[in-house]
Amino acid sequence: MKRIIIDREKCDGCLNCNIACISAHEEGSNFYTVNMQSPEAETRNFIKFDAQKGYLPIFCRHCDEPECVLSCMSGALEKDPLTGHVQYDESKCAACYMCVMNCPYGVLKPDKQTRTKVIKCDFCEDKPDGPSCVKACPKKAIEVKEVSL
Amino acid sequence: MNSNFSCKTCASADQKLETFISNLSVDTSHHRMEGQSVKCGFGLQGICCRLCSNGPCRITPDGPKGVCGATADTMVARNFLRAVSAGSGCYIHIVENTALMLKKTAASKGVLKGKVALAKLAEIFEINEADEHVCAEKIADMVLADLYKPDYIKMELVEKMAYKPRFDRWKELGILPGGAKSEVFSGVVKTSTNLNSDPVDMYLNCLKLGISTGLYGLTLTNLLNDVMLGEPSIRLAPVGLRVIDTDYINIMITGHQHSIFSYLQDRLIQDDVIEKAKAVGAKGFKLVGCTCVGQDLQLRGEHYKEVFNGHAGNNFTSEAILATGAIDAVLSEFNCTLPGIEPICDELKIKQICLDDVSKKANAEMKPFVFEEKESQSNEIIDAVIESYQARRGVVTLNMDADHGNDDTLTGVSEGSLKSFLGGTWKPLIDLIVKGEIKGIAGVVGCSSLTAGGHDVLTINLVKELIAKDILVLSAGCSSGGLENVGLMSPSAASLAGPKLRAVCESLGIPPVLNFGPCLAIGRLELVATELAEAIGVDLPQLPLVLSAPQWLEEQALADGAFGLALGLPLHLGLPPFVTGSPVAVQVFTQDMLNLTGGQLIIDDNAKSAAETLDAIIEKKRKELNI
Ligand code: SF4
Ligand code: SF4
Ligand code: SF4
Ligand code: SF4
Repeated sequence: MKRIIIDREKCDGCLNCNIACISAHEEGSNFYTVNMQSPEAETRNFIKFDAQKGYLPIFCRHCDEPECVLSCMSGALEKDPLTGHVQYDESKCAACYMCVMNCPYGVLKPDKQTRTKVIKCDFCEDKPDGPSCVKACPKKAIEVKEVSL
Repeated sequence: MNSNFSCKTCASADQKLETFISNLSVDTSHHRMEGQSVKCGFGLQGICCRLCSNGPCRITPDGPKGVCGATADTMVARNFLRAVSAGSGCYIHIVENTALMLKKTAASKGVLKGKVALAKLAEIFEINEADEHVCAEKIADMVLADLYKPDYIKMELVEKMAYKPRFDRWKELGILPGGAKSEVFSGVVKTSTNLNSDPVDMYLNCLKLGISTGLYGLTLTNLLNDVMLGEPSIRLAPVGLRVIDTDYINIMITGHQHSIFSYLQDRLIQDDVIEKAKAVGAKGFKLVGCTCVGQDLQLRGEHYKEVFNGHAGNNFTSEAILATGAIDAVLSEFNCTLPGIEPICDELKIKQICLDDVSKKANAEMKPFVFEEKESQSNEIIDAVIESYQARRGVVTLNMDADHGNDDTLTGVSEGSLKSFLGGTWKPLIDLIVKGEIKGIAGVVGCSSLTAGGHDVLTINLVKELIAKDILVLSAGCSSGGLENVGLMSPSAASLAGPKLRAVCESLGIPPVLNFGPCLAIGRLELVATELAEAIGVDLPQLPLVLSAPQWLEEQALADGAFGLALGLPLHLGLPPFVTGSPVAVQVFTQDMLNLTGGQLIIDDNAKSAAETLDAIIEKKRKELNI
């Protein structure tokens, strides 16, 4: 199963992973055309800065025992047994935000515009080359690695 | 040998060069592309600002403005105007040096090879003077006087040089430039921290810089050089790595200021200097062309048959040229002198001398050109090069490629030589356009880059598409270096053109891509366009003429582009100039410009669809002219 593995020390806080993620979710866009000012522009990954530790890349871990799935009562979040990725189904979501509160990494958030759905990493499943953020990271601070359960 | 670099080189439209480079044991730009393949999204869109210590600020969904309140539109416009100002400064530096050189040459009663250019300038500048040296000095003085004006005093030669309908439009828009050097200064001031925040004002400023860059940095540099160095004349010449002859002491030249080499290049073929070369076992000296100064020398090659062996390649061929091992010294005076040549020169013991400190290379000897000392300086350079030759030849392995390039590139095309070729009038060309034998003209100009598919890839694919549509291509800049090395400027390339253009080319014995030489010659294309418009009696935007800088590289190219837009011409770029993060920029360049100057920016990195767009524009302009 593939996961994004973070090497915090390497991160420079350039936010290229943010752009890549926004572009991956704006149909037909690329790095030149992605609209960073659109109200719909939302990133599914975050870079926090800590004065002691430096940059902290916050990405969905697609956890083995995902708290978000466990806390979701409407079945909108499910762990795919084949890929191991935790996927979100907007149509089933009741917007109760139990997942947002329970994710230990704080990676989930309600969407800015309507606050009726959750913004969640989909592992770029529809992208033939895999996670867009990983391709865009100039420091190789995030990498896709095969992990066993 | 050094093997501590990526072994995967980027693609080149020039297959032989790609193979040559991929087998090299030195690191080149083509090797380094892979390590730089992940690009910063904020940089690409132009939405990063580091003008103050509160920054760098970037436009993100959570940070839609900089700390100071700067919007994406302001950031992009500031970044763009800064780049255009710097690019303009580069060309203005070139014309300033060229005018100073003409002034000193004239004052010292030096040789003026270009009588036609002198007469032409005297006519444009309205100088009535029989003595050619006095006349040339007056011309130089008028150019310098304009360059040195403050920004609040308009330059006087603009009205004399520009096509009247264009001049009138520029006046209406309030974009007539003041002193060209001061305009660069104003552009820089305007874009500093917390000054101008009005994108439209800044884009109009770019157009103003485009005008001073184009008319002075480009057009006048050519004409002043023509006076000193001789006018271009059409001929066939060899190009590519094959031009390097290992029997000679070889000097590669890089830069844009041909006149700096003029004394030296005459000196290199004088008997006593040839004797010096023979004494160390060489047949003599040869200059090997690289970058725009090589294109310029090639253009005027008729006057320099003995000393100039031919143009080897463009900016991103320079490392390969050195890697042949047969170059004994590099003389540089401007860009595009890549920092990447330095370790290669060290490894292959190649002497580097810089003649202008603006392009001082870290490991090069600095010898600023001084007109009054040109005799002694040239002798010192010759001795240093001989010393280098002796120290390295026999020690350094040669790695030649006699198969690269060709022997029949048509060169020497200029506004003057083309018109003479046509019989002293533009009528034959206009007739061919009216009849549709030539559908239109595309000026494919500017640099070579390693993006947009690889080295020269988009340029060459686009040109092939255009000629197949019966569009005649005129080329100026490093794009020419790529086009000639792959044979598109050889008469046999006519077979790649559409049936009508092919027939025209075959009957005249010319290729479908005409070689105007260096990027400076974009100024010559402007002269051709203006003379055609004048002959037909229309303004420039009405002509079935488009511009493309498919692989624009640098700030100078952006200043050139601003000139193209000021002229009111459609301008295609392969990749956007770091402006797409601003909706206002996109609107101004792709839409509003049509109403301002008649120009328009088209961005497309696909050769086929870009050619279709340009073709459609040409068709539309033909319809509007009822042809
Ligand atoms: S959203 Fe949080 S809890 Fe759910 S899989 Fe991702 S990291 Fe784990
Ligand atoms: S894998 Fe795709 S969806 Fe997930 S954070 Fe990276 S870019 Fe965003
Ligand atoms: S792209 Fe890589 S280096 Fe840049 S912020 Fe994201 S994780 Fe850090
Ligand atoms: S000038 Fe403004 S946008 Fe630029 S770095 Fe400073 S605060 Fe940020």
